[in-house]
Amino acid sequence: MQSSFDLQYIIELMPILFKYLGVTMEMALWGFLFALILALGLALVRVFKIPFVQYIASLYISFFRGTPLLVQLFLLYYGLPQFMPIFIGMDAFTAAVVGLSLHFSAYMAESIRASIIGIDKSQMEACLSLGMTRLQAMKRVILPQASRVATPSLMNYFIDMIKSTSLAFTLGVAEIMAKAQMEASSSFKFFESFFAVALIYWVVVLFFTRIQYLLENRLNKAY
Amino acid sequence: MIKVSNLSKKFADLAVLKDINFVVDKGDIVVIIGPSGTGKSTLLRCLNYLETPTTGQIHIGDVTIDAVSHKAKEVTALRKQSSFVFQNYSLFANKTALQNVAESLITVWKTPKSEALATAESILIKVGLTDKLHAYPSQLSGGQQQRIGIARAMAAKGEVILFDEPTSALDPEWVDEVLAVMKQLAVERQTMIVVTHEMQFAKEVADRVIFMEDGYIVEEGTPQQIFEQPEHHRTRAFVKRALKQS
Repeated sequence: MQSSFDLQYIIELMPILFKYLGVTMEMALWGFLFALILALGLALVRVFKIPFVQYIASLYISFFRGTPLLVQLFLLYYGLPQFMPIFIGMDAFTAAVVGLSLHFSAYMAESIRASIIGIDKSQMEACLSLGMTRLQAMKRVILPQASRVATPSLMNYFIDMIKSTSLAFTLGVAEIMAKAQMEASSSFKFFESFFAVALIYWVVVLFFTRIQYLLENRLNKAY
Repeated sequence: MIKVSNLSKKFADLAVLKDINFVVDKGDIVVIIGPSGTGKSTLLRCLNYLETPTTGQIHIGDVTIDAVSHKAKEVTALRKQSSFVFQNYSLFANKTALQNVAESLITVWKTPKSEALATAESILIKVGLTDKLHAYPSQLSGGQQQRIGIARAMAAKGEVILFDEPTSALDPEWVDEVLAVMKQLAVERQTMIVVTHEMQFAKEVADRVIFMEDGYIVEEGTPQQIFEQPEHHRTRAFVKRALKQS
């Protein structure tokens, strides 16, 4: 059966979907914050080559980069509670945020590590020569410089994360993708529903791409 | 006082420093000369433990450290006794001139920030950079950057300032202003160890000149002894060539 494209339906659906954008953005922002903290820790462990822990970090990074996000989310939400009862109470939103953080931290750790390694060795030497410890040098000189290098790629991961939150609907989180899916099944207007949600993601991504651009310009002017 | 005993350094199988011994008294200006690739810079970097020596003891101020049994804490303590001026300046790229000079006071010596910045400002004025306090390294000439490098070393409260070819990376037009700052420090009897190819500077400013070749100290003495009556034929050959060039 072929039906005609219903623009009116899309216009009416937009405000309904928009209400759920908050959940999507909340997942992305929390997810990114935790991913950033984790990634920084992982990167430092690998840069400082901390005995034993660095191998755990490598294994972690390898696993979360080497398996699909959807599999990781299922493992976390449907799998883990079977073995560890404390996870039974975990709600779908929390599971999605945790899953996104773990997954993206692995990628972001590598990008932060590369930025740190890319800073000229002489900067660290200059710190050490004055009697600073390696940790002080990292905090005061290396990380501020590395963050400028890492910002474009970290912003890319943030944008990627916004899009990846759509997978949370498979755990039952009521975000925009889930709402679009529900609307589609009740109206049978699948194309219009998913096209509407695609447009919303697109606009959000364009918005953050613009912010990324402004941020990069500002950072490049700094010194 | 600085005392170096039986210092040696090997990179894999290559011996770069061989049984180095010398003493530098407080207020002495010592210049190390010699052909390229003979371990002068490595020696200086060992004094700051930017390179870890293979064997030997280094004593600076009240810290003594042995290459074989050194601990991380001793290394940090030793580094606080000296500061380093790099050939390529190595200023902190993300910090202004003022912040570069104040950094060691704030982070290492825990000086209150306002006090550290005031000290940094007075040092920068002394090296003639009154109008560049808030400039970033990338906005400055090589000569200005190296003067900040020296100011940063002066602020660090060390016993001795180590200069690793401080004028070698500079365009000729900037060399004199950097040497002028170093001469001023010499007048104030700041203890310095300087690796350089500036023979004129060595002749004029040094209390003692050390000639190194092939990882050894071949000869040391007053500038007059080294430049006018060298005992060793290697020293004679080097000095003759070096003075002809300059």
